[in-house]
Amino acid sequence: MSLLPALPEAHALVARQDLPIPAWLFAWAASIVLIVSFFALSAAWRRPIFEDQRWRPLSGGPSRALVSPLVQVFCGLVGVLLLAFSVYAGLHGTEAPDRNFALTFVFVTCWLGFPFFSAIFGDLFRPFNPWRAVGRGCGAALAALGARRRAKLAYPRRLGRWPAAIGLLAVVWLEVVYGASGGIAVGLDPHSLAVAICVYSAYTLAMMALFGVEEWCETGEIFSVYFGMFSQLGFLGVRDGRLGRRRPLAAAGAWATIPGSAAVVIASIASTSFDGAQEGAFKSAIEKVFEWLTEVGFGPTAGLRLSNTIFMALCFVGVALVFDLGLRGMESIPGAPSRAKLRTAFTHTLIPIALAYLIAHYFSLFVFQEQAQFTYLLSDPLGTGHTDLFGTAEAGIDFALLGSRTIWYVQVGALVAGHVLGLTLAHDRALTIWSDPRRATRSQYWMLAVMVAFTCFGLYLLSAGNG
Amino acid sequence: MIPLAHLGHWLWTFYVVPVLIVVAGIIYSTRAANKSEREEAEARPTKKEARH
Repeated sequence: MSLLPALPEAHALVARQDLPIPAWLFAWAASIVLIVSFFALSAAWRRPIFEDQRWRPLSGGPSRALVSPLVQVFCGLVGVLLLAFSVYAGLHGTEAPDRNFALTFVFVTCWLGFPFFSAIFGDLFRPFNPWRAVGRGCGAALAALGARRRAKLAYPRRLGRWPAAIGLLAVVWLEVVYGASGGIAVGLDPHSLAVAICVYSAYTLAMMALFGVEEWCETGEIFSVYFGMFSQLGFLGVRDGRLGRRRPLAAAGAWATIPGSAAVVIASIASTSFDGAQEGAFKSAIEKVFEWLTEVGFGPTAGLRLSNTIFMALCFVGVALVFDLGLRGMESIPGAPSRAKLRTAFTHTLIPIALAYLIAHYFSLFVFQEQAQFTYLLSDPLGTGHTDLFGTAEAGIDFALLGSRTIWYVQVGALVAGHVLGLTLAHDRALTIWSDPRRATRSQYWMLAVMVAFTCFGLYLLSAGNG
Repeated sequence: MIPLAHLGHWLWTFYVVPVLIVVAGIIYSTRAANKSEREEAEARPTKKEARH
């Protein structure tokens, strides 16, 4: 294995924790919590409540101001400036990934921050989306100049969210497979990231021009779709230009009606799983495939990238198969609709699981790297060593802020809570499909198996990575 | 015989146990439910019997 380039440290993984009981016992305890929750839901939850979002407009000046055109333009400008600065930092800043503003800003602050906070507060990315702002700005400028609007192409409905699902896998691939020889928190080098942003911006603006800004944001724009998926869990939402309060989790039920939505959630769970398993559970298997590939003539970098790509694809197939098994089980219950309809009806139940995986795998990385983001990366964004804009260029990361035990308990807590929420959403949806509560409960036996499988898999990945 | 040094490689089996228990429970309860539905259907008089 001497040819194997140094792999990046798997994200969020810390030194082995000193636990009072073996890690696998947590998986057993988590499974018991899920089983008890399942029977409690069956006994006490007799009618669906998440079908009604109970959206109520917020009254008062601040809530109106938040969705006003002026604030929208301001937020859009902030988004465009930050994107442009990230490209500039990537192209002209230091090549040391940990000292360059761009990598931490894109892959930690935005990629992890928006899901975490959108899951609570609703869609925070939409007003800051730089591509949407540019697209809308261009549209408004053309209209002001009196240019005749050319008819947009009709977006193929069958394509649905598949471009976003493939794009999501591509973003993670770029981060953890293509940049696999970087050696620190994120392996990609800043220059490659800046080039990737430029290419993606050109592609996104072209698609927006072809199909329309809002249509593309709803279906194909990776970041809008990905962050928007988590925002369905949040308690704030905009309807007809008004900001309102809604029942948390309830908006998720209507999210998956667009084809390809299941692929987006599965891609999210699979990519997080792969990132966690790359340096732990799959390490020796990846090394074996890598050795075989180099023996048959691949170079070290190509061999490593190909072996990682194979395992990432296997993760996607594995997660999709487990979900499909759950759907097949539900299909066998009398009165069940077709499997395609079941897939649309139950896809949203995986969103809390995707969030739980994200928190479990990246929570500590987020806490540690955000200290860097708001201290030395803010004061010296290009990493030149000569700039100190806010007097924090010499600050460091306080790794004592979170102990390894705290991290482990947050990870376990997130996984259990996410799966219990998934079970709750699934049970609630089953009550709308099967009018007989007994059949609804029977249909959910299979979703219980899916949730237990994902919980145990998640905990195994964490314990193997920590070991 | 599994060498003790390689015991760590088999740790994943502990994580599979809860999944197997749940799947076994599902199969058992599904069979029991199907059986009781069948028995209920058999106990119910057919249309012909009901007419008589």
